[in-house]
This record gives sequence, structure tokens and C-alpha cells, in this order.
Amino acid sequence: MTAAGSAAAGSAAAGSAAAGSAVAAPSIELDAVSFAYPDGTRALSGVTLRIEPGESVAIVGQNGSGKSTLVRHLNGLLRPTTGRVLLDGRDVRLTHVARLAGLVGLAFQNPDRQLFAGRVSVEVAFGPRNLGLRGPALDERVRAALEEVGLTAEASTNPYDLGYSRRKLLALASVLAMRTPVLVLDEPTTGQDARGVALVRDVVSRAVGDGRTVIAISHDMRFVAESFRRVVVMREGRVVLDGSPEAVFGEAAWPELRAAYLEPPLPAVAGARLGLGTTPTEAELVAALRAR
Amino acid sequence: MPGAGLVLAGVGYRYAGASAAALVSIDLRLEPGRVVGLAGANESGKSTLCLVVAGLAPGVIGGRLDGSVRVDGVETKAMRPHELAQRCGLLFQNAATQLSGTTSTVFEEIAFGPCNLGLPGAEVVSRVWWALRAAGIEPLAPRDPARLSGGQAQLVALASVLALRPGYLVLDEPTSELDPAGTRLVADALARIARETGAGILVVEHKTDVLAQIADEVVVLERGAVALSGPAAATLADPRLLALGVEPPAAVRLERAVRASGIEWSQALAEAIG
Amino acid sequence: MIPADEEALLPAYVRRILAGGYRSLNPLTKATLAAVSAIVAFGVRGWTGPAVVLAVVLSSALVAGVLRRMAPFALATLPLVASILLVNTFLYPNAHDVIANLGPLSPTWTGATAALQATLRVVAFGLSAALFALTTPIDDLLGELERRGVGRRGSFIVGSALGAIPRTVERAREVVDAQRSRGMDTEGRLWRRFRGLVPLIGPVLFGALAEVEERTMALEARAFTAPGRRTILRALPDSGWQRAARWLLLVGSIAAVVVSLAGVVKLP
Repeated sequence: MTAAGSAAAGSAAAGSAAAGSAVAAPSIELDAVSFAYPDGTRALSGVTLRIEPGESVAIVGQNGSGKSTLVRHLNGLLRPTTGRVLLDGRDVRLTHVARLAGLVGLAFQNPDRQLFAGRVSVEVAFGPRNLGLRGPALDERVRAALEEVGLTAEASTNPYDLGYSRRKLLALASVLAMRTPVLVLDEPTTGQDARGVALVRDVVSRAVGDGRTVIAISHDMRFVAESFRRVVVMREGRVVLDGSPEAVFGEAAWPELRAAYLEPPLPAVAGARLGLGTTPTEAELVAALRAR
Repeated sequence: MPGAGLVLAGVGYRYAGASAAALVSIDLRLEPGRVVGLAGANESGKSTLCLVVAGLAPGVIGGRLDGSVRVDGVETKAMRPHELAQRCGLLFQNAATQLSGTTSTVFEEIAFGPCNLGLPGAEVVSRVWWALRAAGIEPLAPRDPARLSGGQAQLVALASVLALRPGYLVLDEPTSELDPAGTRLVADALARIARETGAGILVVEHKTDVLAQIADEVVVLERGAVALSGPAAATLADPRLLALGVEPPAAVRLERAVRASGIEWSQALAEAIG
Repeated sequence: MIPADEEALLPAYVRRILAGGYRSLNPLTKATLAAVSAIVAFGVRGWTGPAVVLAVVLSSALVAGVLRRMAPFALATLPLVASILLVNTFLYPNAHDVIANLGPLSPTWTGATAALQATLRVVAFGLSAALFALTTPIDDLLGELERRGVGRRGSFIVGSALGAIPRTVERAREVVDAQRSRGMDTEGRLWRRFRGLVPLIGPVLFGALAEVEERTMALEARAFTAPGRRTILRALPDSGWQRAARWLLLVGSIAAVVVSLAGVVKLP
């Protein structure tokens, strides 16, 4: 497709995002993607992955296994050294990052890498404003996003007067306000207390309910097992496991998990010890015990 | 040993220029060789408490301290920062900001503290090797501190503080930026250090599974005051934990979920859940 | 300064004593050579000064094995050299020995000669700085300075400022990524790029400032403000003849400049 064509399609997506209607999420495809940094470090080796619209996917793996590198390919921040990244069959290479931002929203792990405004509301407005929103429509987006993360009372506060965990929620809100059909979260629960984790889980389930594609990097296996229908395990730049939590946390997959320096969540371990089959979540373990 | 221990009595603290107190009437006791876990909702005062215990508040950052903080019987108010550093080491969650950024090898990074004290060369070298062994990172000695993984960097920061031979260690969320493997490394190192060197350790953690593994006692803060405290197992099983903003350990949650659904508890279940 | 028997306790990767005729010189000697080169290259009139410096620098580079790596530094002087050549050849005041008559902007032999000499000075200085940078690790130099009385704060500030550069570059890159991910246009027209400065500079600055407090506390926790002299682990070799040579070179170079300015001795 020509650059003009994809640019038009990109702004069309941004335009309808501006109108507030749910744009159908695109399918995402990585086709034999390899990536090496300029200094030669290989971060991804032949990753082939297909994510359907509306899927909820957790990406797990040790630090340095390529998770962050992979998600940065989804919104065009990184271009593959070899292979292609396709959104709805269209090569991502043909579109500017600024345009892709309207399709794929990426919430970074460290909020302090993006906070610049003197007020929380201005910070949250930055994203949607870049997508073309103004006036009452913009205000509504900001209000809704702040409410989702519980920061409504802090709309006029200086971001650096908030503690680290609330700054993280602020960074999340600033991406939510863009209402992108694809939502990518890099370590959303790190550093959060119980209430913060609950908020993030609600955000994820609401987004999935709206038909958005949600992709998250996480070390929290409980969060992963309970909030996502698909788990992708990475190790040394490759995908080593890919399936439902039942498949990935089932006993058969444990050797591969351990080779990736990961442990299955406790309900899965307990269920295996009791011979109940695969029970990656508390609810499934309880159900299996009842059925016995 | 009489008089040993890091003791806070009736401690209150207010940051310079703040209207509200960050800590209210805290009583806390850190014994040599014991690990005390500190938990609580965000902004409940955990980080502030770390700064007060290590003497950096009010010593370095100002503010007003009520009550007394004593290390082995001596008031910390009277101590200079470098004296405090030799009694109570402090570690933050971001390893990168704690590394000096001026050394080319982990060995020299760990030597930074003892060199600052002007200790004789042989003493510096022997302390560095001791600290490397205590943290379990001898193979990292020749490496460039700027090129380590998160977990390794955190252990180097830990060894760097240990090299000053403090009797007590305070760690503010040391594993929050680490992956599961790094978390295990640090948790195991802390338990071993308490056991083998006799240091008293205060560690702030959201990951209550880590506290369940290594803490002897757990204290939970709420709005600057102690809301719960006691032996680790009992405190982490306290039903009030979630309301206080703390996620109970996985085993506690699982047991609760099983019991709540009316299933009969058994020894087999207890063993499976661990 | 640690005594010789304690020296033996230091692992080799800490001692890091450089080998080779030139490299094994004490950092202060190498620094003195660079300073003296600058003084002579610019201070002594005529061709002799810069020519001698260039000869010494190139032969030292050969001994130290860094001759090839000096090439990028030489190339870096090219823009300056090009403008010197052009300006002096075509615009030298009061020169009438014209090479080719092009009207008011005619190149002159006097101008060309002056241009070449100025070029030689710049290149000699540039290469001597390059030689110093390529053969002297920063922490070697800072350690030696501290041994001789520069306070720990001074050497820490220099050392950590240098270390902060790659960190700041890395942070800036992440900030750009984060803002681009929020739709900020970094590939558009120039005036639009200007508006994008605050979201770029802000986080880099604030992040750096926020880090300062934590770094300060971390330093205090490592007894940075302890009184007295800091122990210097690595004692780099120095010798009587190097000490003497440093003084001689400094005094000699200043004398050479004075002598040449006074016109007492005429050198080419």
C-alpha cells in the first residue's frame, strides 16, 4: 500500500478515535521479526506471532528476554532488522509513529520518562490533543480517563507532587485518554499497592470488554493468569511458549517455564500437587476441588 | 547483648515545609540477625520511615523529628552522616542511582565507601572481598557496574553498603524493578546476610510472598502510624491486610478462597498450598 | 598511597597498569605533555614550534600504537582548517604578492603561507589532545590528581558528570519514545517541532533533578562526606625523572614562547 494510502487510513482511525466511537481493533502480525540494536545486541530472533482483534495477551519473561523490544515494534518506535510487522495486513513501516499512536497506545514502565506538564489534567490531555481533539470532547476524555484511574481529585495537582505509584497511574490515564483500539502496558502493576493493582485489573477488563486488544508485559503471574486469555513466554529473544494460561502454566510446560527463569502461579502448583489438572487461578482451583 | 537493637520510641516526623506529619508515634524495634518486613498502602509512610530509621531524616534532608531513634543505645540525632552510614545502611529501589557512576569495576564500586572513610588499603581490600561474598557476587568483581542486569546491580549496591559494616540494613522496595529471578536473588541474599553476619534488616515490600519467605516480623503502616505488627506468619494472615492496602501472600489468599467456598480443609490441602 | 605489599592484594583488573613506552607514563606526565604541546603549538612564532609538536605527537602516537585511531580526530579539525585556509589565503590584509589575479578577492602567497602555518598549529594541537584522550583513562587522571590534593568532591564531580552523559542521552531517547507514542510529531515541520520542546526537555530535566536528591542520599549512605583524606586504591607508577621532566617541559615551553615573542632568536 502507498504511504499516502496508509497515512489516510491512519488519520481515519485517529479521526474516529476522536469521535469517541470504538474503532475495530486491527489484527497484529509479526512475521519472522528479528531485531538487533546498533551495538549488535540481538534482542529478537525470528519472532512470529499473530494477535487477533480483541485478544488479551500477557507477555512474560526474564528482563532482557526481548519483551520491551517486541512491544516497541507494535507502535513503530522500532523497525525490524528483518521481517515485517503488520497491522490489519498493512506494513507498519509505511506509517509515521505519530499516526500509529492513534491506533496503538503504549504505556511505559517508568512514568517519569514522559511527565512534563505542571498539572495532571494537562498531562492527560497531551495525547488526545495530539490526535486532534479540542474543546468539550477533549475535556470529557480527560475527565473519563482520570476517573478510570481514581485521580479525579488530583486534576489540578502537579504530577511530581504525587507519589511514584500514582504517577504511574497518571501515565496510564494519559494513554487511556487516547482511546486507542490497541492498548499496550509495560509492567503496569510494578510498584502498586493492592488498590493500585485492583485498578489496573479493572482497566484491563474494561478495555477487553470494549473490544480493544490489550497486551501487557508483566512479572506478576497471578495478574497474568487472572486477567489475560493468552500468555506468551519469551526467552533470549524468542517465543518459547504461547497459549492459554492453562496451557502455559500446566505441568507439561513447567520445564520450559523454569528454563525461562519463571515460576507458575501458586494455584497451578497446588492443583498439580493435588492431581486436579491445570488450575492457574484461585477460582479454577476452587472449582476443581468442588468437582472432586 | 544489652542495649543492642535499632529502637524507635514514639517517633513522629514532618517533612520540611509540610503541613501534615508523615509519621505519627511509631514504636519499632530492629534486632540484630532478625528481618522485619514493612508493608502498607502507597504513601502510608514506609519510605519516610526508612529515611528516619537510617538517620537521613532529619540528618540530611531536614524536617522535624519527635521521639527518639537509637542505634545500639546511641541517639542518631547526634551522629554525622558518615557515622550513621557505618551503623545503618540504606538501599533504594533504583540500583542505578545508588552506584557512584565513577568506577569501572564492581570491585572499585564496593571499595568506594571504605575508601571514603580513609581506611588503610589492606583493610579496604579485605572488606570488599567480604562484602562480595556476603552478597554472593564474587564472580561479578571485574565487571563494569554500568553493564549489569537489574538484579545484579541491586546486589552490587547491597554489597557496597555492606562494605561499611553496618549493624543494620534498611531496604526500600529492593525488588520492585526486578524480574522473578532477580527478586529471588535479592531475597535469598538478604536472608543469608541476616543469618551469617547478624545484621538486623528492615525491608519494605509490596511483594508479601517475599516477606513470607524471609521476614521474622511484619509491621503494617497506615497513614504514618503502625496499624498491625507481629510475627510474620500471623500478621500476613491477618484479615485486615487487604483493607490496609496490602495484598496477602498467595498461600494465604488461596487458603482463604478454599475455606470461603465451603470446602473442607485438610492436611493434604495445607501441604499442597504450602 | 598504598604500600607495595598491599598493592599485591589488588587484582590485576583493578590495578590496570598500562603497558608500553608512552602509555605507561604517569597520567600527569601525559597531561603535561598535552599542555606543553598546546603552549608551544600556539605560542612559538614561526614553523618550528608547531612542526616540533607535530613530530613529537606523531612519534609518541606510533609508540603508543594509537596512530590509526587519531584519524577521526584529524578529520574533525577539517572544517576549522578549511575555513582558516580560505579566509587567510583570500583575505589576508596588506598582502600584495598575488597568486592569480581575481580582483579584490585574490589569493596571495603571504596569505597562503600564513594559512598553512595556522593550519599546522591547529592540527598539532588537535592531535596532541587526541593523543592524550586516547592514552589516558579518565579515572587514572582523576586518581592521580586526588592523590596530589584535589579534593574528593572535585574529582567526583568530573567523574560523575562524564558518566552522566551516556545516562542522560539514554534518558532523552526514552523520553522521545514516550512522547512519540503519545502522538507527538517529531518528523513534521520546523515550527511544530519547536512546540514539542517542552514535552521533551521537561521530563529529561525533571528526571535528572528528581534523581539528584536520591543520589545525594546514596552518597551520604556511602560515607562520602567523611572527613579526612580518601584512600586511593590504585597507585600509578611515577618516577623522579618524570617529575623532573614535567617541570622542565613546563618551564622550557614557557621560556620558548617568551624567547620567540621577544624576537631574541629567529627560528624558521
